[in-house]
This record gives sequence, C-alpha cells and structure tokens, in this order.
Amino acid sequence: MPATPTPSSSSIAFTVNGHRHALEVPTHALLLDVLRDRLDLKGAKRSCDMQVCGACTVLVGDAPVSACSYLAVEADGRELLTVEGLGTPDAMHPLQQAFVDHGAVQCGFCTSGMLLSAKALLDEQPRPTEADVLHHLRGNLCRCTGYRKIVDAILACAAQSGSAA
Amino acid sequence: MTPGRAFRVVGQSVRRLDAIDKVTGRARYVTDLTQPGMLHAALLRSPHAHARIRTIDVAAARAVRGVHAVVTSADLTWCDPYFGPAFRDRPILAIGVARYEGEPVAAVVAEDEGAAAEALDRIIVDYEPLSAVTTLEEALAPGASLVHTDAPLAGHFADLSTLKPVRGTNVCHQFHLERGRGAAAFAEADLALEDCYYFPRVQHYSMEPHAALAAWDEESGLTVWASTQNPYSVRVELAKMFRVPLSRIRVIVPLLGGGFGGKTYAKLEPITSALARLAGRPVRLAISAQDAFRTVRRCDARVRVRLGLRRDGRLLAAECVADFDVGAYADIGPRIVQKGTYTATGPYRIPNVVLHSRAVYTNTTPGGAFRGFGVPQLAWPFESLLDDAARRLDLDPVELRRQNLLAHGEEFEPGDTPVDGKFEESLSRAAEAIRWTQAAASDRGRGVAMMMKASIGPTVSEAIVRLHADGSATVLASTVEMGQGARTVLAQIAAEVLAISIERVSVATPDTAMTPYDQTTSSSRSTTLMGRAVQEAAEDIREQLLRIAGEIIDAPPAELVLDDGHVVARGGRVAYPALLTERFGMGGGELIGRGIVAPGRSRAPLGGSTPFWEMAVGAAEVHVDEETGAVVVDDYVSVADIGRRINPQQCEGQDEGAVMQGLGHTLLEEMVYDGGQLLNANLVDYRVPRAEDLPSRIRCLFVENGDGAGPFGAKGAGEGSLIPVSPAVGNALARLTGVRFRELPLTPERVWRALRARPKP
Amino acid sequence: MLRPFALYRPSTLAEASALLREHGEDATLYAGGTELLLLMKEGLVRPHVLVDVKHVAGLGEVVAADGAIRIGATVSHRTVERSAAVQAHCPLVAGVARHVANARVRAAGTVGGNLAFADPHSDLATLFLVFEARIDLRGLDGEREIPLDAFVLGPYETARRGDEILSAVRLRSWPVGAAGAYLKFGLYERPTLGVAAVLVPDAEGRRVSEARLAIGCIGPRPLRLRALERRLRGAPVEELAAGRADVASAEIDRIDAVTDLHGSADYKLEMAQVFTRRALRVAAARAAHHVIDARYPYTVVV
Repeated sequence: MPATPTPSSSSIAFTVNGHRHALEVPTHALLLDVLRDRLDLKGAKRSCDMQVCGACTVLVGDAPVSACSYLAVEADGRELLTVEGLGTPDAMHPLQQAFVDHGAVQCGFCTSGMLLSAKALLDEQPRPTEADVLHHLRGNLCRCTGYRKIVDAILACAAQSGSAA
Repeated sequence: MTPGRAFRVVGQSVRRLDAIDKVTGRARYVTDLTQPGMLHAALLRSPHAHARIRTIDVAAARAVRGVHAVVTSADLTWCDPYFGPAFRDRPILAIGVARYEGEPVAAVVAEDEGAAAEALDRIIVDYEPLSAVTTLEEALAPGASLVHTDAPLAGHFADLSTLKPVRGTNVCHQFHLERGRGAAAFAEADLALEDCYYFPRVQHYSMEPHAALAAWDEESGLTVWASTQNPYSVRVELAKMFRVPLSRIRVIVPLLGGGFGGKTYAKLEPITSALARLAGRPVRLAISAQDAFRTVRRCDARVRVRLGLRRDGRLLAAECVADFDVGAYADIGPRIVQKGTYTATGPYRIPNVVLHSRAVYTNTTPGGAFRGFGVPQLAWPFESLLDDAARRLDLDPVELRRQNLLAHGEEFEPGDTPVDGKFEESLSRAAEAIRWTQAAASDRGRGVAMMMKASIGPTVSEAIVRLHADGSATVLASTVEMGQGARTVLAQIAAEVLAISIERVSVATPDTAMTPYDQTTSSSRSTTLMGRAVQEAAEDIREQLLRIAGEIIDAPPAELVLDDGHVVARGGRVAYPALLTERFGMGGGELIGRGIVAPGRSRAPLGGSTPFWEMAVGAAEVHVDEETGAVVVDDYVSVADIGRRINPQQCEGQDEGAVMQGLGHTLLEEMVYDGGQLLNANLVDYRVPRAEDLPSRIRCLFVENGDGAGPFGAKGAGEGSLIPVSPAVGNALARLTGVRFRELPLTPERVWRALRARPKP
Repeated sequence: MLRPFALYRPSTLAEASALLREHGEDATLYAGGTELLLLMKEGLVRPHVLVDVKHVAGLGEVVAADGAIRIGATVSHRTVERSAAVQAHCPLVAGVARHVANARVRAAGTVGGNLAFADPHSDLATLFLVFEARIDLRGLDGEREIPLDAFVLGPYETARRGDEILSAVRLRSWPVGAAGAYLKFGLYERPTLGVAAVLVPDAEGRRVSEARLAIGCIGPRPLRLRALERRLRGAPVEELAAGRADVASAEIDRIDAVTDLHGSADYKLEMAQVFTRRALRVAAARAAHHVIDARYPYTVVV
C-alpha cells in the first residue's frame, strides 16, 4: 500500500454570519465538519452525506451548497450563511417565523437546510409559484412533515413580504 | 373538567416548545454533543450475508496514529455480549459468525473520525462464506441453512416469555388466534375468495442516523446519550449486559431527528458503552445513513388472506396466514408479528377468524419496529381482498365496509378493550371528502381502506410534575421528542390542569436519572398514556393546592377552582406563590405531583388490553399514465378517529407525514437485495418521497368525539394514517384499471408490466 | 470523511497538465467535486493529488461567436442556467441546466466535470449531441477537438488521454426555425431515460426538414438515433405534434440497455419509444408555434 501523504493544511479566512474567521484546516476537511466542530455551528446536519437530502445546506455567497461535499478550503475569502445567521430567537427571519407559525417543523433535522434553501429561492424569486417551490425543494428531504406545511410556510412568507430580507 | 367546557390550551395549536430552537439551529441531537476527552468510534461490517469469521487481524489497525483501541468479540468477554428485547440473540460484535451483510464485526476507537476510518481499512478479516437464506422462501424451505443454531435467552418482555420458536428451523416465533368456529365457517359462505400478497422491505430513513455517546465514571456508573425512543428499555439491556444495577445506568435522550420505530430498543448503545469502558474515555458512535440500512428495517411479509362472506356482504369468516421476515436478529419481531396479525381483520365484525403468523429469520438486515408495527403488512392484503369481495358481490366497497363495522362499545376480542370509537363516522367523512358517491372522471379511480391497530398493554408510564415557588411548573416525563410534538402536548396538559400559561411550563429532557419510568415512545401511546400520567400528576398538585387554599379561603372545597395561576372562590383568590409560602412558611419549596398509569395484564391475547384502539380511514383518487405505468395520487384524504386533538396543528402535521411516508412504501420505496447483498443502501438509489410527490390535494381530517381513554378524551395517532395508504391506492388502481396489485411498491415499471399483461377486452 | 490529499491550484492549463503528467495515477482533476468527493468518501477512488482547475484562466467563461456557444469546463450548471448568452443562443441548454440534480449540485457542479465523468445518466451528454457538440482537449503534447460522441466512449470512460484536460465544449446553434425539447423520465435521483429532440421544419413549416434525436441513460453512452432521424424527414409536423410519430425502431431496440436499479432492459427500451414520441410531440408543437403544456408523471419536460 502506497504511503499516505502527510495531511497538508491550509490557512483560510472566511466570514460566517457576518463574523470573520481565520483558521488552519486540513486540506481534505469538509466544510460541514469545520462549521460544526471548529466553529460550533451545529445547525447544519450530516444526513445522507451524498448531496441528496439537503440537511447540510449552507449558503456560500448567494448559492446553496452541500457542506458535506464541499471542501472547507473552497470557502476561503467567501461569505457564508448558516441557519444561526439567518435569525436568532430575538430576531427571527420571516422564514423562520413562518416555519414556526405553520407547523413546518417536527423533528427539526431537515429544518436548517430547508430554511437556507428557501432563503436562496426567495432571494432570487420573491414570488415563487408552488411549482417553483416544489422544484427548488427537490434537493431537500423531510421524513416527518410530508412537506405540505413546509411548502405552505414558504409560500406564506413570500406572500407576506414584498421582498425577502 | 366538565364536558363541553372550552379548554384554555388543550385543543389549541400552540407553538411547539422546541420550534424556535429548531429553526435557529440551537436544537441539540446526539451528534451535536461532545464530552471532554471524547473519542470517536467506527464499525467494520461484514460484507457477507453469512460467514464464519476465522480470524481478525487488528495489528495494523492498532498501529494507526490516533487509534486507542481496536475491538472484536474476543475483547468483550467481560460482559454479557447479547441483547434483544424478545430474544437476546444479537451480539454486540459478531461472535465467530456474521449473520447478515452489514453486521458489525469489529470496532475502532480513535481520536478523530479520520483515524478511525483509516484503522478500519487496515483490519484484515478472514471470512469463510456460508450458504445464506435471504428470502422467506429460502428460509422456510426444508433443510434450509439456519441463521441461528443456538437457542437464545428470552429478552425483557413479560408477554414474550411465551416466545414460541420452532427448533431446528428459522421460525423464531409463532402466533395463533382463533375466534368462533374458525375455518369451519367458510363452508357457509356464499362467496369465498383468497389471495396472496407481499409487503416489501423498506427503511425508516430518519434524517438523523442512529448515534450514541457513552461515558463511564466510578461515581455514577454509565451514562449514555442516545438517539433512542425508549431510554428505559436501553437501560435495562445495558444493566443486564454490563451487570450494573439500574441505578447506576443513566440514559439521556436529547432530541431525535426522527425515529418512526427504528430507534426503539437497543441498537448502538451496547457497543458504544462497551467501547467507552474499554477506552476509559467517553466514546461517540455516529453511523452513516447508509449504515442505518444495515441496522434496522421494516419486516417484509408474505400474507395469504381468505374471506368468506354472505351474498349480502356480511363478513362471515376470515383467515390470515402471514410470514414476517425479521432478518438476522429478532429485535422486536415477535411482537410485531403478534400485533400486526391481531388486527389483521381490521375494524370489522367477523365472527369466525383464524390467524396464524410466523417470525422468520433470514440473513438480512434485522427487521424491527416501524410505524404501524406489522399492521401495514396485514392491512395491505386484507383491505385489498375486501375490495375484491365487493366487486365479486357487486357491492359498493364503502357500503360493504360500513355494514360490517364494529360498533362503538362492541367487543373485538374477549378480554380486550371494547371498541371505543364511532368508526362509521370516520368512514362517512372520508367517503364524503373524496366524493365517493359522485362518478369519478373516466381517467380517475378512487379507493378506500380502513385499519385498526391495538396500542400496547401491559404498559407503564409515570410522570412527575413540580410546581415551583413562583407558580411555574416542570414536567418530568421520559417521553422522547422525535418530531411528533409529544413534549408540547405534555406541557399543554399540565398547563390546562394547573391553569397556568403554557409559557410557564417546562418539560425536562428525558433522563433516566431524573424523569421517571416510561415504557416506550412508540405505539401511538404517549399522548394517551404519558398524557394521563402527566394529567394525574398535575391533578395531584391541584389537590394539594386546593387543600392548602382550603385553609385560607373561606369557601366549601367543592367551590374552589384553579384559574390563571390562582385558586379562586367566591371568598377570594390566592396566587400559587402565596399558597406555597403558606405551606412552607418561607418563599421556597415546591409541590410535587405524581402520576402513574399502568394498565396491567389482562385476558387479552396480547397480554394486556389496549388502552385505546387506533382507527383510521384512507381514501385516494388516482390516475395512471398507462404508457409508463406511473401512478399519480391526485387526492388523498385521511380520517383519524382521534378522540380529542390536544394540538390540532401537530396532529395534522403528523398525519400528513404519515400519509407521505405511506406513499413512500406504496409507490417508491424498496430495499433491493441481490441474494444477501443490499444494493441500494443510500439515497441515490433508495427513493424516499420528495416535496414534488405531494398529491395535488391532501387532507388530514379528524373525528373528535372525546371518547378516548387519554386526557380530555384523547386517543393516540400517528401510525393510523400511514396504514390505509397502500390499500387505498391499490383499490383505486384496481377500480380504474381492473388490475389487482399484490406487491409493493407500485413503481411505474411494476404497474406497466401488470397493465400489459392485462387480458384484452 | 475524506482521506488526506494534496491540493494544487494551477493558474494555467499547461501547469495543470504538467501536474497530471507528474503524478500520473495518483492525481485526479477536480472542479466542482460533485461526483469526485462522493467517490472519495466511499473510498472508491483514492487520489493523493487533486488538481483544482477552477482557477485556470479562461475555463470559466461562456462565449458566443459564429453561431456557436463555447462553454468553459469550469462553468457551473447554475451559471449556464442564468447565462444570457446561453439563453439567447441555445435556451434549451439553459432550461436543462436548471434541472440537473438539485440546486446545490448545480451551484458547485461544472459542465466540464459532468462531461468528463461520463456518467451514463448525464443530461448534458445526451442533450449536447443534438447541438453537434465538440470537445476541446488540451495537453502538454498539443490540443485537439473531437465530437462529443467520440469523447464519451462508455460508462465513466472518455477519450481523454494522460495529461489532457477537457477545456471547453462547443455547441452549434440550431438552424433558424428549429425547435427542440428535452425530456427526462425516472423515479430516482439519476434519470432512467433522457431524450433530446430537435426538429427543423421546412420553409412552409409543414414538414420536417431535419430531425435530431439523442437518447441517453439507458445504454452505455448517449446515442444519436440517426436512422430514425432520416426516417422522420418529410414527416408532417402536425402528426408529430399530435403525438403520432412512428418511432418503432430497430435502432432503439439495438440499444444495449441493462437491467439495473433504474429499470429492466425491456422497460427502458419501451420507454425509449414512448419518450421519443413525447419529445417529438413537444418539439413539433413548438416548431409549429403551438402553446403546449406537456406534463407527464416523473418527467421533466424542458
């Protein structure tokens, strides 16, 4: 068996939820693990680990990415948003409030990813149709809610706000 | 509580207690937890369905930097390595033989997951593959190789001390029940019909895979944070295995990212605890979603059903013979077989019944509890055949069901609870909602199905409520929050009885050191049973408050009521804090209330009477793209006879989820095996429902007659609405296409093939 | 969990090729990582060196010129979806990009990565065949340009050699008046079947002057159905728009379809006919300027 190369590490700096972080990370580190284990941002979850389920969704710039399959070094110099930055109990994002109000949360494991995917959608399409929402949520699985209330929450949030926050 | 009086918080869709934590990323699950000095574990799994393990060479693995231990069964002789609720047949790590592809054979404990993975790569196992039985047919064939050759000990269920394995075969349990004259009554039927069905292997796919974190210390013993639905069941297993008193084992359950039954009974806790002991440090084991497919699944089942009816549609006789594949280890399979078969004949009056079922071992992923607990596997054939009977007798399927429904108060089975619902009302609501009596469009078909399921008995739920000095309260209950909203419901019950606002009620994290005994969070039982325990505990506090108040307020005791944090009567109004000060002579202390709900054993065939009957109706309208076989559910209605919804929005959300999960096994989901190799243990190849699979219209309705045994007339729910989905869709398809389907899922290809084979008119 | 590797970020193609040459089998190209990282997590591939081409100048551009669109290898599906140039010159490509996998894969995954990976289920590898796509390959020994169907050789197998790097794909715009459609059908994450159809009507718009049909997912690689294309010449557009194209075809039947988790071989071949007919229906309706709302279960219609 060939010798494993010494893990190389990289210095990276990025902004998460408005806070700047400078870190040494192994080159092979995945963004999800860096967020969860180094920055203690546990909201993004590991579920399918293969980019299908969306539980690990975070926003890099305005794009949703699967943090489970995204090298941390790719985030260097970027602005990231996790669910913790979307809103806090004292200052909830309208999407978070809509999920709460519409009963769109059950076990909660899909919720962080759902919210960030929904945010990416509403930022681009402030008035999506239900078909748009269903298309966009193709990559976000939920096993508890059956999706009805999640879709309703997103549509209600869109209807309420003239423009997304 | 006087009937008809409006409730303050019960019946309101109050915000879930954990909603804000969950939407802000603050909710904590087991894999979010760490302990100082924590190490990471990883499991090496057998690639063979059945193999002798000749040697395991761990030298190279142990040499990997960061590895603390590499463990095989040889390192576990200091404990009793077997566990299982029915049979203790499952070893922590395979001992000399691997019985299914995916069975843990060795474990690594390391500083980080990378080192653990590298060590796994370096473990060398010498397997001698053995012949495997991987289907019911193979396992039941004469001379079939045996999955288990030794007789295992019985596990920890009293009613399963009567386990009935058939020695020398792969049958680990049998269940038999007869009513009336049994099969002899078929002779009198005007119509007898019979058919055979299969329900597939499917997996729970909880978004959170199983995980556990264990730590030992000399003072308190073993602490395990576990993604489990029944901490007390896990505790008793660990106590037996590690020979530690119950008082020195603590199981703590944070939030679960889904359970659906897949996290009942010990799964990862034994291995994690053993590794923590060997490593001398806390150990966390988090398996992948792929490995969840190799941990537990639903038992597939092959069922033959026979019905005998009179010409006018009256059901005379029914016979169900079911074989359930429980996989390589029994888990709770024997109980699933009993429970599923017990109500195989649904919510109908059938005077003559023969039921016989078997739990069969195969060399595949162990089958365990999954929402519905054996009833989906029987409702699929029974409700399908009932529709066939209707067609043969030229009777309307809804009317056929209606005329045979058990009446409110009628006996289902001697010794068991009488029927506690007006089932006809649910059937009518479903029929009306799907517009049953109006003709469907020519390209649409409608179908209906019903189901009935027993909850669990004997059973125990205990709760403590503490009223604090400021009049706020804490509920201590070991009901696990896995998304169903149980903790919120318990808070609502306590708030209602104590007449305080729900914002002032906390529900403690389930923790066997603090929250008292609860048998399990499963079986749709928590609102009813733990709810009643909480209600009793709160009522206990109410009584204490009234007693104290009686000494201050000049009014007859009967006139004292609780209202808005006060005891009130004509003569005055005293706030709870003042009452506590009165009681304790100081501004401190608390009142403690206790509730114990323990319907014990009875003559009922399953060992205890069901606390309530779960009954639901499903109605579907479908169309088919005949060129591809794709089935589309345009409209789905579920009606649950729920007694009283404590939290209406939560009930609706649960039933919507149940319907979609039912559509999963009806249209999409199937574990595909090639012999003993599971081919699709991942989400690319295993298809769970997505948002785009939502029927254009989905309605979850409820009949609330306040006739449940739970608080305020509530019954349980959450499983019922899943069960009718497959037969409702199957019946709709049969009415539309004339083709009767006997296997699931109804994938496009399966439907296309059956439509092509249809005889041309 | 990834095993450790060294990551290089060359700024020119020559540097990238030099790294491939130097490290040989130990190195692999990396862009979006949407396929590669999954394989690495599973342990199915274990490269010690990743050559990240995202910082190579010129690879991330979409350029329209001379009736063609040149899409650089590291252009993401998301960029293709939103590109004004793609929408103007080959809108079907933008539409199909919108439906690749899910939004996150579209954000990270690249056109070059997709084609170079040669997953038989690739939408782009099928679709681009009806755009007479050509692949630019550049290595230390020179550059060459080959048709897409000479580039994709089989499942996960391409004509890329040694230190060559796929630098761009070139798509020819359709003739004036042409209309097309892409349909993909399937239950699972990867489609069971993908069909691309283009029709060029004659001057009066009544009959088919030229047809292009590509079918993917069901065989080892996507194919043009050239015999069927020839047979469709002269067919009345309205017949096709009514869903009555005669697509029974030995050419389809000869596709080497395998039975796998996505379906049985016979089912796939039957669906190939069904969806070829449906794709032609949509393309013909568009060619005839009918408004069409074609929806089929488990089908994406672009």
